[in-house]
Amino acid sequence: MTSSPPDGRIVVHELTKVFHGNVRAVDRLSFTVEPGSVTGFLGPNGAGKTTTLRMVLGLVHPTGGGATIGGRQYRQIPNPLTVVGASLESSSFHPARTARNHLRVQCIVAGLPERRADEVLDMVGLHDAARRKVRGYSLGMRQRLGLAAALLGDPWVLILDEPANGLDPDGIRWLRGLFRHLAGEGRTVLVSSHQLGEVQEVADRVVILDRGRLVSSGSIAELTAGTEVVRVRSPHTDRLAQVLTQAGIPAVADGPGVLQVRGSTPAHVGHLAFTAGVELHELAAQGFDLEDLFFSLTGSAYGGQHAAPPGADPRAFPPVGGAA
Amino acid sequence: MIRLVRAEFLKVRTTQTWFWLLLAAMAVSALFVIGPFAAGDVRTGSDLAQVFSAASTAYIVVFVLGALGVTGEIRHQTITATVLATPSRWAVVTGKMITYAVLGVAYALACLIVQLAIAVPWAAADGMSVRWGQDDIPRALGGVFLVLALFGIVGLGIGALLRNQMVAVPVGIIFLLVLQGIIAVIPKVKVVYPYLPGGAVDSILPIRTGRGFDVHLLPFAGGVIVLLLWAFVPAVLGAAVTLNRDIT
Repeated sequence: MTSSPPDGRIVVHELTKVFHGNVRAVDRLSFTVEPGSVTGFLGPNGAGKTTTLRMVLGLVHPTGGGATIGGRQYRQIPNPLTVVGASLESSSFHPARTARNHLRVQCIVAGLPERRADEVLDMVGLHDAARRKVRGYSLGMRQRLGLAAALLGDPWVLILDEPANGLDPDGIRWLRGLFRHLAGEGRTVLVSSHQLGEVQEVADRVVILDRGRLVSSGSIAELTAGTEVVRVRSPHTDRLAQVLTQAGIPAVADGPGVLQVRGSTPAHVGHLAFTAGVELHELAAQGFDLEDLFFSLTGSAYGGQHAAPPGADPRAFPPVGGAA
Repeated sequence: MIRLVRAEFLKVRTTQTWFWLLLAAMAVSALFVIGPFAAGDVRTGSDLAQVFSAASTAYIVVFVLGALGVTGEIRHQTITATVLATPSRWAVVTGKMITYAVLGVAYALACLIVQLAIAVPWAAADGMSVRWGQDDIPRALGGVFLVLALFGIVGLGIGALLRNQMVAVPVGIIFLLVLQGIIAVIPKVKVVYPYLPGGAVDSILPIRTGRGFDVHLLPFAGGVIVLLLWAFVPAVLGAAVTLNRDIT
């Protein structure tokens, strides 16, 4: 639409929000979100994701630090809907207003033609419900409407808070395709989620937050370097483990006849087994798991304020509540 | 700013609240004509000015419309979308003030049309010869426009200050309908009545006060100034303090 793509970099610097005098919802948070990629903004419920996004969007005043989009604070962006599209978790609609009318209002404010409302409603699959009052919408339909509102101004930066909530599996698949497409056009896509697996398949980069603090950020490739797991099945696991250990590669048993090998690749493990003459029945790179990464980085079972109760499944990711 | 005002109008038009409130305002206006005519109390042009002044009672309805214009956005969290599109809270409030003042004028027009549609044929049937340019009739008609335009802004401002719809609307209605009338008849306390919204309305319109009412009202210009303050002080305070709060 524009001749030269605008700068869509989001820079968050030392961002801090203290609620009610002592609750540090966000604590000296700094990270950068690059254009042309899908960035997952991850953390358990109550980690401060929504508060951070609301500060980036000028809805919540930071206690300290700041955030810019393309070098400007949100409040300084002229006609912001055409630069930044946002859909927030609790972004709500007047129950007695139709989806189309909600978007028409935004079109007028942003100086967009009103047919743009119909275009984005078609895009998110709400064509048939466009003239119905939002009162009768399901959670998934509201999410789609929120997304339509975010896309309205054809923005170069998209900030979406838990966009997959309430969507069915088809909707989630469609959403992933949309994110890839938008990032492919050079746009900035920042997507928060408390469900790590949801983001794993679509994000190029992640920013991981826990209890208001940055845990880690970077490309998934960087963060997972050296953490790949290779699964090997062999009738001679003892011999194989010995070979691997001699090569400096740790291997642990994972059930009878199965080894989990960290810090290597299937090709390397296969080569070692072949030269040692060990028979293999299976050799596979295991899907990298963001949840494992999260837990290895935070060393905690939950985010939020509570320690894991003894015996709790460390993979559980229950809602913790508190200031979101 | 034109975009903002157009958007605010579309917001009002796309829910049904305005329609029911307008219906209520027109019904009240009709009753205030039919009542005095049916009782045979309308004999002079001055009586007619009283009848037309009564259309200003719709100020309560316009107040509610204005209060809902802010508190509804907070209640349904549409304020998030509003502020994302227009980050300047001052611009949002200014756009709303213009919109609700114009809506007040539109309500005044509708109420006066209802009144005239009943009063003109009835007065003719009673054999009255009405001199439209005299007997305070222009002041009554013009005053209704002014009062309703400003009350749209009063509603906005009170809504912005109180935020909660379930507080702002009942508190406003009880204050305007009941408390003001009580204040006006309590000895000593009643000296504040001319500075209340109702007192300002009584100053602006050619309203004959009833028996037992001996408050010394402000002159016309004083009433206008008081009502302007009631309109703009809460709206500005509301924009500065309340709407600048975190939107979570």
